[in-house]
Amino acid sequence: MTRYIIRRLFLIIPVIIGISIVTFGMLRLIPGDPAQVMLGEHATEEAMEALREQMGLNEPLVMQYVHYMGDLLRGDLGRSIQTNRPVLEEIATRFPATFELALGAMAFATFFGVLFGIIAAYRHNSLADMGIMLVALIGVSMPIFWLGLIFMYVFGFKLQWLPPSGRLTVGIELLTMPQAWGMGESGEGAWRAFLDFMSGFYVLDALLTANWTALWDVVKHLIMPSVALGSIPMAIIARMTRSSLLEVLSEDYIRTARAKGLKERAVLAAHAMRNALLPIITVVGLQMGFLLGGAILTETIFSWPGLGRLVVNRILSRDYPAVQGSVIVIAMVFVLVNLVVDISYAYLDPRIRYD
Amino acid sequence: MDSLQPARAKPYRSSLFLDAVRRLLRDKLAIIGLVIMIVFLLTALLAPVLAPYDPIAQTLVDRRQPPSSQYLLGTDDLGRDMLSRIIFGTRKSLQVGVVSVSLAIAVGAILGALSGYLGGWFDTLFMRLMDIVLAFPALLLAIAIVTILGPGLLNMLYAIGIVSIPAYARIVRASVLTVKEQDYVLASRALGARPVRILFRQILPNCLTPLIVQGTLGIGTAILDAAGLSFLGLGAQPPTPEWGAMLGQGRYAVFSAPHIVLFPGIAIMLTVLGFNLLGDGLRDALDPKLRI
Repeated sequence: MTRYIIRRLFLIIPVIIGISIVTFGMLRLIPGDPAQVMLGEHATEEAMEALREQMGLNEPLVMQYVHYMGDLLRGDLGRSIQTNRPVLEEIATRFPATFELALGAMAFATFFGVLFGIIAAYRHNSLADMGIMLVALIGVSMPIFWLGLIFMYVFGFKLQWLPPSGRLTVGIELLTMPQAWGMGESGEGAWRAFLDFMSGFYVLDALLTANWTALWDVVKHLIMPSVALGSIPMAIIARMTRSSLLEVLSEDYIRTARAKGLKERAVLAAHAMRNALLPIITVVGLQMGFLLGGAILTETIFSWPGLGRLVVNRILSRDYPAVQGSVIVIAMVFVLVNLVVDISYAYLDPRIRYD
Repeated sequence: MDSLQPARAKPYRSSLFLDAVRRLLRDKLAIIGLVIMIVFLLTALLAPVLAPYDPIAQTLVDRRQPPSSQYLLGTDDLGRDMLSRIIFGTRKSLQVGVVSVSLAIAVGAILGALSGYLGGWFDTLFMRLMDIVLAFPALLLAIAIVTILGPGLLNMLYAIGIVSIPAYARIVRASVLTVKEQDYVLASRALGARPVRILFRQILPNCLTPLIVQGTLGIGTAILDAAGLSFLGLGAQPPTPEWGAMLGQGRYAVFSAPHIVLFPGIAIMLTVLGFNLLGDGLRDALDPKLRI
């Protein structure tokens, strides 16, 4: 198992180098003078030269890449042209919002996807099965941003059941963890930074500070974006669960388990799902990439203050260092998630380890 | 007496194809998909005839009109007829979907075939390159490419095409690796056939089935991606009637004029559903395991 993990870690290195080259190239491949493109048509020559110096655009390409990699390894993603703040700082404040949204969508998609898949498999060829598969097919064909807008209109405007935008209602106070635990403005460096970062996860904050009003408010804000974002993954997971379970349920060991007199629930939990789980986990892992990309669209509709919205706003304002930094962070998270999925896959199926 | 007649062998190629067509026509959902696809194709071809108004003509006095007898699907924020814009939008969506997938298949098939056939350092390098492309969430990479090239329909087409290449390259490479060591390929090589001939006459035809299936499904995905990019303002630019762009421009009016958002979304959903149904049907029809 350890050898497999080490092998997988080694395989990641060229991918990470490749990601860094692609994001490095993003800025340098822009047609025309990057400095002029970023500062606009009316920028003075002095301003453009200062930007070129700051970003090292005058140096040979190889030296630029060496400095870029050095900065990356130190965690320096440059400065935003628009706000002049370090890009890493801007990303760190927004990343928890995106990750919370992706996790919410994943939880929704996995829970309901697996549930509907099991129902469809057990009621194979019935009306329920066909209904679920039809809904899944329609779900996979829908643009998530359109679904989000429909939700906003129906649940946010007409029925007024759920708030149509944002993460937290104005006026509801959410204490951060350092505040709730009495750390005030003090606290040791790395631990304090960690707590400040984790305080971007509102659900966690509300839970750990026992702020039930805020928790309910945060969850209400999370529902519509999570359901909209998770709709396509849910449909895909439902279809995969159904087909995987159908294959497993026709196996001899299931027949044996039933012949032994096991209750169907035990057959499902102890035998069927364990074996059906492998392809389902693969699909769940693959969907994480879709969620990270799809979050860009969802955040735009629901005014969710996450990384996706940062990317879109900064592209339109030509703030390329911020875009570059966001792209590399999202790609790295995706690579890590895939690594975790691969390792858990190898843990669950010993045959993979010896490949 | 009939049983004593020698059996006439059916031509091998045509019966396989007819088999697949027959299986496809028995699949009701695939037929629905095919019908939807044909409807949209005809709509795209006959757009100037079908559209009641000019899709980019603005009538500001008729802004945000709900559906009526004058404007069947209502008007948008600038008084443009929604039905005409959706009809003309069919052209853009099908264009982007079909062209980007064709580009991806062409480039992916050639590179995947070379990679599988040549093996060695070329194969390793190419597969690592594909891994890097796949390391990015598809939409994010498409956004990054459009950021570099600049917003616009053509650049969006390239971006979606580039992002789709790995899927087709992998299909072709896998087929090539399977078929490469078969006896009939080795026989061709022994007889002195050039690699190009072997690739095109013997190896690539084996990849056709998964390519057709994946390509059909891929058009649906490409249309969704294109709508997403245009929604963000990175694809089709105003006043081009493109469904995603219509959603993007109309989203600020969702509470006062929801029809602006409803109909383009339905159009996207139906088109993508059509391709998905057809793709699923083709997968079942062309599956060799189902051939008895």
